[in-house]
Amino acid sequence: MKNESHGMRWIFAGLNLIFLCCAGGLFFLLIFESYPIFKLHGFDFWLGQDWWVGETYGALPMLYGSTLVTALACFLVLPLALAVAIFTSEFLTSTRRRYMKAVLELLAGVPGIVYGLLGVSFLSLWIKDVFGLLDGNTLATASCLLAIMILPTVLTLSEDAMRAVPAEYRDNALALGLSKWQTATAVVVPQALPGIMGAVLLGIGRAMGETIAVMLVVGSLDRIPDPWFNIFASAQTIPSKLGREAAEAIGEETHWSALMALGLALFTMVLLINFIGNRFLKRRNFS
Amino acid sequence: MSPAIFEKGMVFFLSILTLLVSSLLLIILATVFAKGFPALHSSFLIESSQDFGRAGGIFYQLVGTIILMTGAVLISLPVALGSVIYQTQYLKSATGKEICRQSAQVLNATPTILFGLVGYLFFGVYLETGVSWVTGALILAVMILPTLQVSIREAIEALPDQYQDTGMALGLSQWSQIKTIIIPQCYYGIITGVFLGLARAAGETAAIMFAATTFSGIRLPESFSDPVPTLQTHMLVLTQEAANPEALAQAWGAGLVLLSLVFFLTVMAWILRSRLKMEAEL
Repeated sequence: MKNESHGMRWIFAGLNLIFLCCAGGLFFLLIFESYPIFKLHGFDFWLGQDWWVGETYGALPMLYGSTLVTALACFLVLPLALAVAIFTSEFLTSTRRRYMKAVLELLAGVPGIVYGLLGVSFLSLWIKDVFGLLDGNTLATASCLLAIMILPTVLTLSEDAMRAVPAEYRDNALALGLSKWQTATAVVVPQALPGIMGAVLLGIGRAMGETIAVMLVVGSLDRIPDPWFNIFASAQTIPSKLGREAAEAIGEETHWSALMALGLALFTMVLLINFIGNRFLKRRNFS
Repeated sequence: MSPAIFEKGMVFFLSILTLLVSSLLLIILATVFAKGFPALHSSFLIESSQDFGRAGGIFYQLVGTIILMTGAVLISLPVALGSVIYQTQYLKSATGKEICRQSAQVLNATPTILFGLVGYLFFGVYLETGVSWVTGALILAVMILPTLQVSIREAIEALPDQYQDTGMALGLSQWSQIKTIIIPQCYYGIITGVFLGLARAAGETAAIMFAATTFSGIRLPESFSDPVPTLQTHMLVLTQEAANPEALAQAWGAGLVLLSLVFFLTVMAWILRSRLKMEAEL
């Protein structure tokens, strides 16, 4: 009996080790596999603007595309998420709020490929018509689609942050004669601000790593738009580049290594954003 | 304009926005349904695809998706259950727990395409499983690990302390407690995790598109080294033929099936969670 118990302990420890190796191995393999391209190009890999398979590899257009698309999506989603979160948290009855949460959970589960199909069939055509473009697959299209995709995440987490503000704060504010609207905007939102920041950062992290939907509507041109702020130009993001080229790079050392280096950059950025976001979410200063 | 009217106006405006967002789900469902319905014919689900996906059904794609997601959960479940039990029952050091928590967050945050790249490299190249459904199932297993862990952990942490105190007072060993108290009392968490994991694996495209799937040529895998067609890859390829209305119609049909599958699994997870949790608390 005693021995069996001891044996099981090691089995569980082993399974836990497998789990830890999954997370650690991911990071290690990304660094290990991207080493050849750094040996070849050094730091210029990050600043290079040309990507010709077999000749030269430069990551700047992808880095720029990823950053711009994500920032734009965040800019689009923030006001909407904040407004809806205020209403859901402060003005809805608890039954309706639960209903809203269920809808958001389902929305968060809609597969990226379905959003991609919606983007290709509607969004990119609308953007093409409304702005009179030759091609509807642009940075702006990808940003709009991403904004819709991360809305449930940002919304549900910001709403949680607002609900976490203790009821006494609201009661005190109402007792002082503030209206419900004033309580919401002047008391609850400032108190929940760290949580809202965290929610937005986690949303950004998700947006940055989204592959399929972006790949289908971003246009996939490896160049920095001209001029740089032209959001109605086709461009490329890191995940979309990886998705497009991974299959053909298998077995080609330098090409594969360049893709792994892009993956490493993506991984580092997403983890950093996520780490900061989780710090914000955990911060509780209600004492 | 008096402040009261301004506030009423703002609240009204917010209510409209909220209504809009909550109807987003309906809009997406209605669009996919309206676009996908024409492609559905009586044998859409049981017929193989023809003419490079432009006609016929999606039987083998559906089977492929089910193979991959079931395989992923079968591989992931023991690891998730074992690691959560270790972390909650055996691991005492605070640093160790923190490391496990951070690792789970890393896995949860990692962009899925990276699971595809690194997973293909590790499983497909180093462990020589190649481009096959086994590689796909392994990759998805790693991807859904945190989803399963969260459900199981929530159930274990919701268990009242008295249960384990009683077990200890009766002189049960740690393993007997796990076997007789924790797993029977927390199996609703395991079931919920399984369904949420299946849903997440079914909706994933990027992680498996080049490591495990194929568009045409193979119907059912005949060995461990064969790739499978899946709904996700099928949709991806057909979507890129946006100029071809027949291909697009088939993509919508496949999308409708995939979306129904994912929603069905998610709603099942909710129903089982609330029902089994109630039973466990009786």
